[in-house]
Amino acid sequence: MTLSLSLIKRCLVVSSRHYRQAPIQASAILLGIMLAVTLLIGVKATNENAKQSYGETTELLSQRASFYLTDKDQTGIDEAAYFALRQAGIPALAVIEGIASDPQGRSWKVNGSDIMAAVSMQPHQNGQSSKAKQTTPAIPLQRLLAGYPSVVISDNLIERINALTQGQLILNDIPVELIPIEASLGLGNSMLADISFAQQLLDMPGKLSYIAIFFPLDKSPSVIDSQRNQIIAALEQAGFDSRQVLIDNQDDGESLSALTASFHLNLDAMSMLAFVVGLFIAYNGVRYSLMKRQRLFIQLLQMGVGRHNLLIALIIEIICLVIVGSIIGFIMGLQLSQWLQPMVAMTLEQIYGAKLLPGLWQWQWFAQGLGLTLVASLGACWPLLLQLSRMSLAQGAQRQAQLIPYEKLFKQQALTACILLASTAILFNFTSQYKHSLILLGIVTIAIPLLLPMTISIGVRLLLPLMPKGLWQYVVAETKEIIAPLSLAMMAILLALCANISMNTLVGSFEVTLKQWLDARLHADLYIRPNPNALLDVNAFLDAEPKVTAVYKQWMTEAKLHRGQSNPDSSIPINLVSRDFYSIKNTTVFKSPDNLDESFWSEFEQGKNVFISEPLSIKYQLNIGDKINIDKLSKTTNTLLSTPVAQANSEMFTIGGIYFDYGNPMGELIISPDLWQHYHLPPNPISLAVDYQGDNELLQQALISQQGLSSASMYSQQRIKDEAIKMFTKTFSITVVLNSLTLLVAAIGLFSACMMLTQARLAPLARLYALGVSRKQLRIMVTSQMMLIVLLTCLLALPMGAILGYLLINKVTLQAFGWTIAMIWDWPAYGRVVMIAMLSCLVSVALPLYWQTRKPLISSLQQETL
Amino acid sequence: MRGLNSKLTKMLLITFTLMLLGCQPSTESSEGTSKPATGISMGKLLAADETLLQYSQVSPANTLEFPQDHQPHEGYRIEWWYITANLTTQNGEAIGIQWTQFRSALSSPTPPKAQSTDLHNNISPKQSPWATNQMFMAHAALTSKSEHYSAEKFSRSHPQFAQVSANPFAIYLDNWRWQSHNNSPFPASLNVESEQFSYQLSLNSQSPWQLQGEQGLSIKSTDGKVASHYYSQPYINVSGTINRNGKTDIVSGQAWLDREWSSQLLTDSQQGWDWFSIRLDEKQTLMMFRLRGEQPQDSFYSARLMQADGSGRNITSASHPNDISMQPITWHTSKNTRYPTGWKIDIDSENIHITTQALNPNSEMLLSTTYWEGPIQIEGTHSGMGYMELTGY
Repeated sequence: MTLSLSLIKRCLVVSSRHYRQAPIQASAILLGIMLAVTLLIGVKATNENAKQSYGETTELLSQRASFYLTDKDQTGIDEAAYFALRQAGIPALAVIEGIASDPQGRSWKVNGSDIMAAVSMQPHQNGQSSKAKQTTPAIPLQRLLAGYPSVVISDNLIERINALTQGQLILNDIPVELIPIEASLGLGNSMLADISFAQQLLDMPGKLSYIAIFFPLDKSPSVIDSQRNQIIAALEQAGFDSRQVLIDNQDDGESLSALTASFHLNLDAMSMLAFVVGLFIAYNGVRYSLMKRQRLFIQLLQMGVGRHNLLIALIIEIICLVIVGSIIGFIMGLQLSQWLQPMVAMTLEQIYGAKLLPGLWQWQWFAQGLGLTLVASLGACWPLLLQLSRMSLAQGAQRQAQLIPYEKLFKQQALTACILLASTAILFNFTSQYKHSLILLGIVTIAIPLLLPMTISIGVRLLLPLMPKGLWQYVVAETKEIIAPLSLAMMAILLALCANISMNTLVGSFEVTLKQWLDARLHADLYIRPNPNALLDVNAFLDAEPKVTAVYKQWMTEAKLHRGQSNPDSSIPINLVSRDFYSIKNTTVFKSPDNLDESFWSEFEQGKNVFISEPLSIKYQLNIGDKINIDKLSKTTNTLLSTPVAQANSEMFTIGGIYFDYGNPMGELIISPDLWQHYHLPPNPISLAVDYQGDNELLQQALISQQGLSSASMYSQQRIKDEAIKMFTKTFSITVVLNSLTLLVAAIGLFSACMMLTQARLAPLARLYALGVSRKQLRIMVTSQMMLIVLLTCLLALPMGAILGYLLINKVTLQAFGWTIAMIWDWPAYGRVVMIAMLSCLVSVALPLYWQTRKPLISSLQQETL
Repeated sequence: MRGLNSKLTKMLLITFTLMLLGCQPSTESSEGTSKPATGISMGKLLAADETLLQYSQVSPANTLEFPQDHQPHEGYRIEWWYITANLTTQNGEAIGIQWTQFRSALSSPTPPKAQSTDLHNNISPKQSPWATNQMFMAHAALTSKSEHYSAEKFSRSHPQFAQVSANPFAIYLDNWRWQSHNNSPFPASLNVESEQFSYQLSLNSQSPWQLQGEQGLSIKSTDGKVASHYYSQPYINVSGTINRNGKTDIVSGQAWLDREWSSQLLTDSQQGWDWFSIRLDEKQTLMMFRLRGEQPQDSFYSARLMQADGSGRNITSASHPNDISMQPITWHTSKNTRYPTGWKIDIDSENIHITTQALNPNSEMLLSTTYWEGPIQIEGTHSGMGYMELTGY
């Protein structure tokens, strides 16, 4: 058989005429593709942007740092170190960060830097390459450098902040002027002040939070070492004790990427789900339009258009639809990501401390989205096309056989689903990586919809004998027939429902778990985190205050953990924490061991055992009894050396306990306070907790007025709880949004399917009407059929959602975040989701029904049936 | 006058008010010509408006006194310490060196009341050692017949890393440093270090200061409305080492210092300038410049013939019309523009008839502001070395 261009062209013309006559079919296909690509690209753009930001994070208004200098005591690094570096000609930037509070008690993160140095260190464009921006955004240097209480923020934030402050922003009792600068300068959500004002505002005279060094970025260890030595030499030359300074080099955002990997994977998984749901709609549309054209195709074949020509024409048609849908979807996706990004940025900033760059996008994303959609749609439609091309010419003008062996197909699908479910049930026992669990979860989500047609079919069959004879029995019996055409749309709805139910379960369960944990973890009345240099004074003040019955302390520093001595290269970044013994004993909630006897505590007190947080334990598979060493707990005092020799010299510790930790995605390790002192770790606690006999507010007032503390650095127990819950709800907000979007997509899919179905059923309905069934009865009949199907779907969604939720909680979240969560079933949330499904279904049935009743009976009767 | 007038000054002022404000000055003007330009209206910036008058003003009443006037004059908008040197290595290779530290005031000494008419009139700067309205920019260059390196630095004024100190006299920005031992600028060391090149020079001079123009008041236009305070030291002995990409050479020769400050240096119509420092012979040096007007006949010429004993003779377009003639004879085309690198210079009244050629025609300073600066060779009635600066092309 030969291909003929002119015949293919003719087929395409015929198809386009067909779509012009039946625009709903074309738009259903386009809609599905659009929605699928929109969600895929929206999340992809959001994710890629965030990931790119980690690697390219620059200092505000400046470039990427190659080293960061901080103070070992964590009291803020002395600005003299900055002077020393500048005098040595080392490109450096002084940075200061802190929290200020407004009169309403809200906390504002304020960044400060030597803005002149930041700006002059911007990636250099000299005359040669200069295609400099013509529209040069002005940073009001004069005002900033002069020490006016001014901060710059991105101009797209100013309205939000103004709306929040309702007038002048007052931070730590200083009226602050907000100066908007162009968002393209990359400030993101940050508030940037010059150091001249920032030191006053944050009450850190003479101190810096850290110093960024801008050596040319280089990955080779020898260059990094020589750069490091240059820094040390510059400090030593100025008489600065370089051992007091921690020098960390740029890791290209690797640690941040690792930390946030699970977050992004979750988003990716969600977007894939939405993509699949969108494709269901598109597939449904294609299938329907092919069926509607069956007779047309046969006519074409009879007229001598070769099967291959017809097939090629159909493939071209699908490709064209995919391209158009993808383009629109891509544009909408970028728009969606614009909308999602602030949400993601907020989450990432709050949980991981990551700053995001302004949005970028790439053509590759479009290519990827288009390619994926093309492959998926052609793959999905291939069997359909094949089936079409094998049609017997003799079938001719006859109607298509109504009941092709759907029952058999349903059985096959259900069988496949059962096999898939059973095998994942076995495999889940062997996964420890959240990535593997997610893949299994993906298989489960494929299996679930395959169960649906069979379930509905069985449900209907069970219902049939219960129905009164006559019309009602007919209604139920006919329902069975519309399962097949509706099954795809219902599968999409089922998927969306399951995802929604499981996410709701996860979020709800997490909130309860978090609350319980906070109740156990927080015991003091007031928690204080003063500026490091004010800590000793505050401590003395509290000790002298008679109503203060106890002061608890927490020390913290960053360290690196090495697992045994077998693998000295792998170092795990952790927060090394210690608290007073009472706090540790009374507020640590242990996952294991179960019984905490005297010997358990005495070994800990003696410094033989250490405790690790659950996320650390799960992420790196550390268990009780494992031997570890920690770079900062080593006999060599110079912590600047992280050589294997230094590691070998450090002592081994045994993991004695694993405790729950929902507050920190970073690994945490608790050692006894004696051990802390023994190794000369930073002596000043980073935070204090106070038991107070009396009104908490009074103590806070006293600390503010007598110690000059900002209210932002004090938290009552209740406030911590509130903020923690708020923050963690936000963690999931993006997922919840995506979930709702998926449900929306599924509802749209159902709408388009119902619409097409109702249109297809115009003839049988008209026949019933002609037989004397009233319009009202007809309406009730069609509606109840649909409701029945949706109800059965929801019924299936309930256990399936529960299974998904269980897996999400006990496998994916546990493995990805290291959080053990007790599963709690949320009936009202489930009811809500079912209501949404029913409602959207009602609307999608009502509209075509209404249209139908407006058509003359005869035209309905003349409609061909499905 | 030395160094920077007209376009470059404009550019510097804009560099200071903009580049440091977070942008890179464009080398393309907004009209799309290839001239180095700033892309914003200079008339506004430099017109003698209210704001400008709040800065200190150049006046014949200000007599220069030393060592005080080696120090910054913070009330003026712009000021510089500018060194150029013609050196030779032990192998006889000719080397040119430039080092400049510019100071710029971001605001006038008494801030105008108008600034506080906004919402935030209750806001006033609090005292912080970091707070300042002064900033510095430094340029450095090293030129040989075949190489030309340049670098720049910026900083806020801060006593620890960018400042001018009185006793001992020192001018520094990070690790670029002119350091004397007492309150006199000489003897001193000058150290500059950058990625590709560095130099460590000893500077010494016994000669009296040369006050340019009328007792250090140098006019820039025929009507004398625009001017600067300007003095020079053309007789500085230099020795030291230079380093080019890791290769070190011992050098010696002569350097020239220019000091200039003003709040308004140019008229709206002036396009740029061509500035020369020329060693005519052992005893005599010549400073001369041409400020290019919109038309060739509008150009303003100024020169001072200087002797080592501190005496000298001024010649300007105002006092001696048509005495000075400067004609470009060779042009060099860079990526950005075309520079006149060879000149025919005549001062009839002093019987000076010379031609100059750039040691390295490719001495364009590709920094945040682009201009041409490099050593030159002189032939004709006199022969020797000098330095040339071309801006506004």
